[in-house]
Amino acid sequence: MGLHLNLLHEEIQQQRDRQRDPLKIGMMVLAGIGALLFLYYGWNAYRTIEIKSRFANVDREWTKIEPSVTAAQKRADELTGIIKTTRVLDQYIDSRFFWGPLLQKIARCIAPNAQLTSFQGALLEDNKSIGVSIEGVAAGREPRAVAEDLRQMLLEQLGQSYSDVKIEFKTLEDLDTIVNISGSNMAMAHYALTITFNQNPPVKPAASPAKSKK
Amino acid sequence: MKKLNLRKDQIQKIGLSLMGFVFLLYVYFSFFLGPLNRSRNATLQAMSDRQAKLSSSKDDLTRAATLERDAKNATTRYAALRALNPEGAPIAWFPPRVKVFFANEQLDKAVARLEGSGSLKQSELSGWAKYQWAIDLPQADYATLGKAIADLENAEPLLTITRLTISTLPDQPQYQQVDLRVANVIQKK
Repeated sequence: MGLHLNLLHEEIQQQRDRQRDPLKIGMMVLAGIGALLFLYYGWNAYRTIEIKSRFANVDREWTKIEPSVTAAQKRADELTGIIKTTRVLDQYIDSRFFWGPLLQKIARCIAPNAQLTSFQGALLEDNKSIGVSIEGVAAGREPRAVAEDLRQMLLEQLGQSYSDVKIEFKTLEDLDTIVNISGSNMAMAHYALTITFNQNPPVKPAASPAKSKK
Repeated sequence: MKKLNLRKDQIQKIGLSLMGFVFLLYVYFSFFLGPLNRSRNATLQAMSDRQAKLSSSKDDLTRAATLERDAKNATTRYAALRALNPEGAPIAWFPPRVKVFFANEQLDKAVARLEGSGSLKQSELSGWAKYQWAIDLPQADYATLGKAIADLENAEPLLTITRLTISTLPDQPQYQQVDLRVANVIQKK
């Protein structure tokens, strides 16, 4: 067997060391990971650019439509305000109390021998109730009865149009004065009536249910 | 298992490589991928907002068109109510108007005075104010007065008579003296 001498042992060892150099291997690994990361970054950048492009389209569309939308919103708000205001104003108008018909009813109730000297009326409680006080003189053989007739007449007439009608004598007193009506002397009485009622029409009683045939 | 024998300089090199790796990751996430992701997320959020606005804008346009159609009566009525009162301060035009109105009803010498004004409690009427007036009619007969009041209530829908006092004149019992307190709703201009 021949003797084999490896004279290049050190050189080979150095070459092996160079090949197994951890720094070199590390740099290669780093370069590999760097390349992967770069690719991943590129993919993300592409997606971002694509999203930004879509956003630009949407934004362009919005910019085009925005003035008309803003105007429409403003107009809608304005119209809503007008509708609400008109509704409230209509409620205000509808809830008013009309004095003309009341004066007419009172005029119809006053007989020739029951003179009215004073009328005071006012809205009470948020326009729902009305308070009226009237004063006058009544003449007749029984002046108090004339005044009472007037009260009854008012009760009947006002009860047809208004609800919760209450009419009470505040004062009713005989006067010493004698008045001549149609040639006959009659005694007089001074009356003061207090009237309260609700302007809503009276509630009519519900019709009784029909009896079922047996 | 073969034991990995590393020399000191090799261990240093491995450590150096690991440090480089960590530094690379830090730079990558902090200065490249992080900002990119943040920018993408912000764009996505903005796009989502825009798309929501776009879809709601179509509803808004439809709603406004429908409202415009439906509110035709209300707008006409509103315009009519606004037109009831002229421009300018009510104190300037209301008393002469009342005087002319009652003169046309055969009731002369009507005098209107401003008693006060204030806001209305309804929030919808924030642009409107309530004016309280006192109207004196020194001489009127009952029938003419009743007709005049009825005409006034019909002609002025935003006017409410809050108090009415009628008393006979001592020397002329066929005539009455009238004191009216009215409230008028007028748009602030």
